[in-house]
Amino acid sequence: MLVEEEKIRQQLIERFGLPAEKVNVQRERRIWADIPAANFMEIFDYAVDKLGFVILGTITGLDEGSTLGAIYHLARESGIMLNLHISVPKEKPVIKTISARFPAADAYERELVDLLGMQVEGLPAGNRYPLPDDWPAGQYPLRKDWTGIASKKKEAENA
Amino acid sequence: MPEREFKIPIGPQHPALKEPESFLLTLRGEKITEMTVRLGYNHRGIEKACEARTYIQDMYLVERVCGICSHSHSTCFIQAVEEIAGLQVPKRGLYIRTLIAELERIHSHLLWLGVAGHEIGFDTLLMYTWRDREIVMDILALVTGNRVNYGMNTIGGVRRDVTTDQIPKILEAIDKLEERTKYYIQVGTEEITLRERLSGVGKLSKEDAIRLGAVGPTARASGVNRDVRRDDPYGAYGELTFDVIIDNHSDVYGRTLVRLGELMQSYKLVRQIIRQLPEGPISVKAPRRIPAGQAVSRYEAPRGEDVHFVKSNGSDKPERVKVRAPTLANVQVVAHMLKDGYLADTPIVIAAIDPCFSCTDRAISRTDIESGRTDRMDWPELRTYGINWYRKQGIDFSELNKKMRVLRESN
Amino acid sequence: MDLVKKIVTWARIKSPWIIHFNTGACNACDIEIIAALTPRYDIERFGVILKGTPRHADVLVCSGPVTRQIKDRLIRIYEQMPEPKFVVAVGTCACSGGVFNGCYNVEGGIDEVIPVSAYIPGCPASPKAIIDGVVKLLASVDAASKPKEEPAVNGT
Repeated sequence: MLVEEEKIRQQLIERFGLPAEKVNVQRERRIWADIPAANFMEIFDYAVDKLGFVILGTITGLDEGSTLGAIYHLARESGIMLNLHISVPKEKPVIKTISARFPAADAYERELVDLLGMQVEGLPAGNRYPLPDDWPAGQYPLRKDWTGIASKKKEAENA
Repeated sequence: MPEREFKIPIGPQHPALKEPESFLLTLRGEKITEMTVRLGYNHRGIEKACEARTYIQDMYLVERVCGICSHSHSTCFIQAVEEIAGLQVPKRGLYIRTLIAELERIHSHLLWLGVAGHEIGFDTLLMYTWRDREIVMDILALVTGNRVNYGMNTIGGVRRDVTTDQIPKILEAIDKLEERTKYYIQVGTEEITLRERLSGVGKLSKEDAIRLGAVGPTARASGVNRDVRRDDPYGAYGELTFDVIIDNHSDVYGRTLVRLGELMQSYKLVRQIIRQLPEGPISVKAPRRIPAGQAVSRYEAPRGEDVHFVKSNGSDKPERVKVRAPTLANVQVVAHMLKDGYLADTPIVIAAIDPCFSCTDRAISRTDIESGRTDRMDWPELRTYGINWYRKQGIDFSELNKKMRVLRESN
Repeated sequence: MDLVKKIVTWARIKSPWIIHFNTGACNACDIEIIAALTPRYDIERFGVILKGTPRHADVLVCSGPVTRQIKDRLIRIYEQMPEPKFVVAVGTCACSGGVFNGCYNVEGGIDEVIPVSAYIPGCPASPKAIIDGVVKLLASVDAASKPKEEPAVNGT
């Protein structure tokens, strides 16, 4: 059956004491794990350095209501994906950067900052992405309660 | 006397790249010491828009993330949706999807060859490849109804069938293109001028390609043996045989060879698909409301790995759609490749990742130029500078252009 | 003055210099614009030449819905062009914002920002449609530059 996927699932559950229902083999080559934000770095490092998940697909940010979520989509050379999901409180949405290990994460983490208002600790200084420099502060488009801002033209008309 | 550093911003409009984005180069003499990329000009807010539209509407929207690899995005998205909904696309549907995927790869790689030729002053190559590309554009228009943005997918399969009268035309087109591509491979491997111009340019070691997360031909030209079609099969690839093209030149020349090799593989794949095309329906009916769930889909677009994540909430509109296009992975690598290189190499090195800044959506606002000379070069100036710089080194395409033009007239 | 203007207009119609600018497009229209320049469609036989700089351009060919970031640059490019100048909106997005209409960060069609002389719809606009649109624009410029004919006195 899905021998390798099951093996990875067991390794994660046993090593980090994760609840069984939080780690799922969805189908071949797809594993999903809901992990505590506090344990993120050690689980992440283990997955990358010991379990061979050396490819970072992207990081998806989500508005989950009272929390903000981040899913790290990792993959092995052989094709198996491990998707690690964490949640942080919306009032204090702080996560740590993984850009030291994956320089490409720089862009993905900046998206989390710009579009969801996450705070990424350790992210080096740099240009924002993808929003323009004149984007009004505190406006996070991907948040569910964000209904938009007036276009520049309308802003000018209303001024 | 030490050469002062000065900064050149490039962008945002480049007739060559055809899309807005910016690079800020720091130079010492003719060499680049640093490069920063600022993205954002093409940011349209597609992911947010997806949440307010139905899945079918989103398929049409996501298709337009990038017009060159539109089928890639459409398919990558729809695969995730179908997985969440538990839909099994009939085999014939998968085969047709894969057919369009490979035809798209062919058009995209031929397009790239032309653009690359243009960047180094080898304009005859542009004219030849884009003329040849019209052959595959005709087939795409024949099968899908449009030259670009094919609209071939639906949730559960494809919208249009391949008919028996189309098949000989497809095969004839592939035969013609294969013959022409063999000629380009000959030019690529035998023409000293081309080889000299592209070798050693935009160097990217295998270690750096992996560390920086390069994808697609850019990574494979540095010996990185990754291809989503083989590693995480989707569509009909599980039943098809093909080689993943790896090269070890680790430079722009290698990237050229990889794309040429991939063209030959694509012709092989199209023939296989036609030969093995199963009978049966081309789609299954999909529900309007997609049950709650999530899925991540990967696809080997012409530029590299495309990743889509979809989360559903049981309604007819997605909860979240995330798109990571291949160019976003490769653009961070460009900065590394240009460092310690010559300004004259900038156009071809950037072009060699086959940038689809539309996929990556972004432009760059220009940072203020600091002390030193305040030069602003626009892209045509930079291209001309590059072509002239290499001319002084003895690498000049005027002879090759003339030679190929003679051949063209005799064709 | 009138004669000079006529010569300039004649030159512009006979050999318009165009500049292409992408204001946030998906590239589909952009590659069809370039395809229009290649042998099969060969818009150059109409004397149309693609230039890199607005300062020498007669026609600004725009693709894409205007994004927030690109808007000021679009205006600047338009302002750099000498008179008489024309703007062609290529593709449905350039005409109206297209499928991106309503997206945050998208202003809308080109005419939200600068005046447009010709609209060429399509998603993307095909090379044939692009050539057709450009030729029609040139013809209308040509017609506008000719002196109006005096109506026949007897009405026949």
